[in-house]
Amino acid sequence: MIALKYVKSGNMRFVSHIDLLRHASRILRRAGIPVRFSNGFNPHPLIFFSPPLGLGVASEAEYIAIDAPMAAAEALERFNLSAPAGLKATRAFDLKSNPNLQARIVAADYVYPYAYRDIDFSRFEITYLKKGEVVSEDAAAKILGATSEGGKLCLRLATGGVNLRPDRLLGALNGIYGEDAKVTDILKVRQFALEEGKLVLVDEILK
Amino acid sequence: MSDYSRKFEALLPDVEKPARYSGGEWNTPDMNKRVRADMCFCFPDLYEIGMSNLGVQILYDIINCREDFRAERCFAPAPDLAELLKKNDIPLLSIETRKPLKDFAVVGFSIGFELLYTNVLYMLDLARIPFRACDRGEDMPILIAGGPCSVNPEPFAPFFDAVVCGEGEEVDLEILRTVADGKERGLSKAQILENLSRIEGTYVPSLKRTGYVVRKAVVKDFENAPYISRPLVPNIESVHDRATLELYRGCASGCRFCQAGFWYRPIRERSAKKCASLAKNMLESTGFDELSLCSLSTSDYTGLEQLENELSPYCRERGITMALPSLRISSFKPDMARDSRRSSLTFAPEAGSQRLRNVINKNVSEEEIDKIAVAFEAGYDSVKLYFMMGLPTETDEDIAGIADICRRLKSLYWEKRHKKGLNISVSCAVFIPKPCTPFQWEAQISLDEMKRRQAYLRGLLKGIKGVNFSWHGAETSVLEAALARGDRRLADVIEEAYKTGARFDSWSEHFKWDVWQAAFESRGLKAEQFTRARDLDEELPWDFIDPGVDKEYFKKERALAYKGVTTRNCREGCNGCGALKEGRCTIL
Repeated sequence: MIALKYVKSGNMRFVSHIDLLRHASRILRRAGIPVRFSNGFNPHPLIFFSPPLGLGVASEAEYIAIDAPMAAAEALERFNLSAPAGLKATRAFDLKSNPNLQARIVAADYVYPYAYRDIDFSRFEITYLKKGEVVSEDAAAKILGATSEGGKLCLRLATGGVNLRPDRLLGALNGIYGEDAKVTDILKVRQFALEEGKLVLVDEILK
Repeated sequence: MSDYSRKFEALLPDVEKPARYSGGEWNTPDMNKRVRADMCFCFPDLYEIGMSNLGVQILYDIINCREDFRAERCFAPAPDLAELLKKNDIPLLSIETRKPLKDFAVVGFSIGFELLYTNVLYMLDLARIPFRACDRGEDMPILIAGGPCSVNPEPFAPFFDAVVCGEGEEVDLEILRTVADGKERGLSKAQILENLSRIEGTYVPSLKRTGYVVRKAVVKDFENAPYISRPLVPNIESVHDRATLELYRGCASGCRFCQAGFWYRPIRERSAKKCASLAKNMLESTGFDELSLCSLSTSDYTGLEQLENELSPYCRERGITMALPSLRISSFKPDMARDSRRSSLTFAPEAGSQRLRNVINKNVSEEEIDKIAVAFEAGYDSVKLYFMMGLPTETDEDIAGIADICRRLKSLYWEKRHKKGLNISVSCAVFIPKPCTPFQWEAQISLDEMKRRQAYLRGLLKGIKGVNFSWHGAETSVLEAALARGDRRLADVIEEAYKTGARFDSWSEHFKWDVWQAAFESRGLKAEQFTRARDLDEELPWDFIDPGVDKEYFKKERALAYKGVTTRNCREGCNGCGALKEGRCTIL
């Protein structure tokens, strides 16, 4: 089992998670990475992703775990030669078993295109469109932290079972800042899993 | 990237499936090279449809393999993006470099289906290019059209400077050379068009005079003709999301309703060896896990067994599925079931009775239909059947034959298997008399009659458990028939229909029959004028296009149809259709 950390940016931001699954199996085929297949009537390649990234959001910290008998470093090199512009592996990890990132990841950091400012997130009403209807909710419980990252606003948001889509904060934040930022201006920079009650960087878990 | 690029990208988060427009597909060719002339291939339907079009992929690849030319793509944007483009004052752009269509040397539309005609205008409108060739000045690109609808280009001829009739592989390059040459020498558009009209297969509507004849363009050396070397891998799932290999061109079956079967003659095969190497190359450069061996009738391909022997182990080792569409029932082999992981079979008897199948020369016998039993034994539980309704000489008895076939299949199924029960889906299209077929003179049945026959068949099938019936829209079939056999007067109708809201006519949720009826009426016409029967000695709007097959041959075939006499498959001996003068039939 190997895992690759990769960047999703540029045109690839517009490729949805479901289409990304198709892309991944084609990239691995082109790269000659010998992915193992599941047994059964409809065998499928044994590849596993970190939780879906929202359409339009760029990320520096996506993960894919691949069941293949190959050294992770070699897989990284091959992956990058066969991936379209906008997908680039940046770190490789050799693993003993499936890290099950989809289930374990509980939070992620997103950098927004606003100058960092002290905002009270203890109560934070957001409104967004859901299936054509305007929905309001207090997102405070799902905003786990706010910091400055290179002078920009960086928010730690709940991901997975309890989830907050980063684009759903845009309406409220654009209101505070008087700006018109779009989903494509958001960058995911790191992801966390929960280990013994503490948030741990995914990179640390895979090391 | 053009000045519009940033502005355009800012719209993408707000549209459905933005990857349709973002570009950056794997295998995108070098877009930075300096070229003599560039061309934008336009496909008047959505990305996921257009990306599956083999013709566009072949021509795009051929042009981009040249050092001195470049091709880009543009698909019809969905209405949500179209609205945003207009609101933000952005013209329609190419995908690759986001360049406005009107800044290309050549803009080429691939038109494969009559119901896409309004979408051509929809794209020109968004591109801010005047619809009529006569209204476009020297600053506008040369607009060309090609694709299967070039069989009868008259209804859309006024919109284009030139129409490629027949196969584009060689003609498109020749057109680019001529346009580049004209620009370099400072020729006027009129002079360039004059030069274009000398290229075989190129029709220049503004130069049409009495006695003007356009010979269909044919790729003579099909074996060595370029094929897609590096297919684009679509960003989002396309309708045929797989590697597609064209085994041969043309068809030996001679079904009398089938335009492609006559238009793509003579029959030209690619050797199995060549096919195998092309297939492997495509699979390796794309990473697709499915390969489709495609042609008009795959069972007729001489090298099929050799090709299967060569590709089967290769595909099995790599977990690649091989699909063989357009197979005859008689060539079904049980081991195909094991290889393909599928549980559904598709066959097209086209007509319910043997009598009517003889009329249309669809040489499928009752005994052959019975051979589907082999598939049941192999584990298939589901069959898809394609039929047509309204064929010449059809009676209710022929339609009842469709229900008989379903019952027959059910009893065969229960003889072989006692599992979950057989699912049959019956899909019934309406017969459209098309140019370049022995039925080009036939009437289409009326709208009311279509509805009556559909209701009749629906009633018959209702009583059979496990049968699912779907049919084509009657109104769209009338429109398709009218546009297929229309003349230049229809250009006005198409333009009027577009201006009053018709577009995406092939999508039932967008089709507006009342708009079309009003558009016909606004020009003092009726769709039914174009769906009526034609006299054999009447001059037809597409007579000036020489498809290779002689008009006399079509007449002879039509007479045989009315006698219920079949014509043998070309493989059993040449039937003398006339296409030989365009090049050797490689099966002879």
